[in-house]
Amino acid sequence: MVGAVRPLTELDDSVLVSAAVAGNREAFDVLVERHRRTVYQVCYRFVNNHEDASDLAQDAFVRAWRGLKNFKGQSALSTWLYRIAVNVCLNRVSAKTPATEAIESTDHFEDVRIEGAQHAMIREERAVAVRKAIASLPKKQRATLILRTYHDMSHQQIADVLGSSEGAVKANFFHALVNLKKILGSEP
Amino acid sequence: MTHLTPDELIDAMEGLLSEERQSHLAACEQCQRELAGLSNALTEAKQVSVPEPSPLFWPNFSQRVRVAIDQDASTGNNWPAWLRWQVLLPLGAVAMIILGLMISMPKQARNDDASVSAALQTPEAPEALDRWVMLADLVGDIDLDTASAAGVTLMPGDAEQAVLQLTAEEQQELTRLLKAELTRAKS
Repeated sequence: MVGAVRPLTELDDSVLVSAAVAGNREAFDVLVERHRRTVYQVCYRFVNNHEDASDLAQDAFVRAWRGLKNFKGQSALSTWLYRIAVNVCLNRVSAKTPATEAIESTDHFEDVRIEGAQHAMIREERAVAVRKAIASLPKKQRATLILRTYHDMSHQQIADVLGSSEGAVKANFFHALVNLKKILGSEP
Repeated sequence: MTHLTPDELIDAMEGLLSEERQSHLAACEQCQRELAGLSNALTEAKQVSVPEPSPLFWPNFSQRVRVAIDQDASTGNNWPAWLRWQVLLPLGAVAMIILGLMISMPKQARNDDASVSAALQTPEAPEALDRWVMLADLVGDIDLDTASAAGVTLMPGDAEQAVLQLTAEEQQELTRLLKAELTRAKS
């Protein structure tokens, strides 16, 4: 008796990768669906605006499709996708301060007397400042901070992604935090 | 004892500092301040999340990726990066210049050099030389743009192929002529 065919969404990444390499586009669609949020988040933290982040994330997946046959499975697919996304960001992001999303006008909050709402507003303003500060860091420092802080990658994994040494990653992480402290310290 | 290095400060933040250096940290206010500053910056960064895009964004995103992959495949962008036209065009131009030099060499040699090589002293030599001269005259006045517009294009490797088709004697003569030209250009 032939067993029931499992839906693609229930298959793990390695099986989907093999299917996609064999030309199954639906398998790749499932991989996109599974990893799109984290890839988008890496890109967003780089550029701090939705438009560029979605373009970069799209580009990362196109490159992933192109290079899928070279994915040998030594690392998790997510790590491999981070690597592609970071490289897309490093190549595309210009040295100048990236265009960041405008801070929404807060005038309409003036009459709000609920303390909770005011706290939320202050918190959001601070979050905007922190995101902006991260996006203004030099590229390698930014990549290191993003991968270490938000994606919990080890120094060695980050070194592999960035093609540098573990020592250089630690130094970049240190300088990223020093710069972040400086920028945020000078915020009003 | 020396203060903590940047590496050690990162280790300290991640709980990986050696015992010996931990004892320094416990006694050093400057290192403690520096570590606290870094830890605060990290804590603040950790608290910030990425704003969630509109729920409509995700299905639309997957569709965009599908379309982009289709376009990528149809435009042939899956060629190796070094095989793009930005690379092929200059290579083609260089190949054309080399071929042009090769074609014009016999004519110059005839004018400048009284000693005609053994390779050109064969019974077919005068006829071959005339053909070279006619060809050189034809292409001599044509620049690269005109040639390209007329559909005359060279693929990378054409010049090398042409050289390989020469006989050993012709290759020897070509070498001699190129050396003579290089010597003349240097002087």
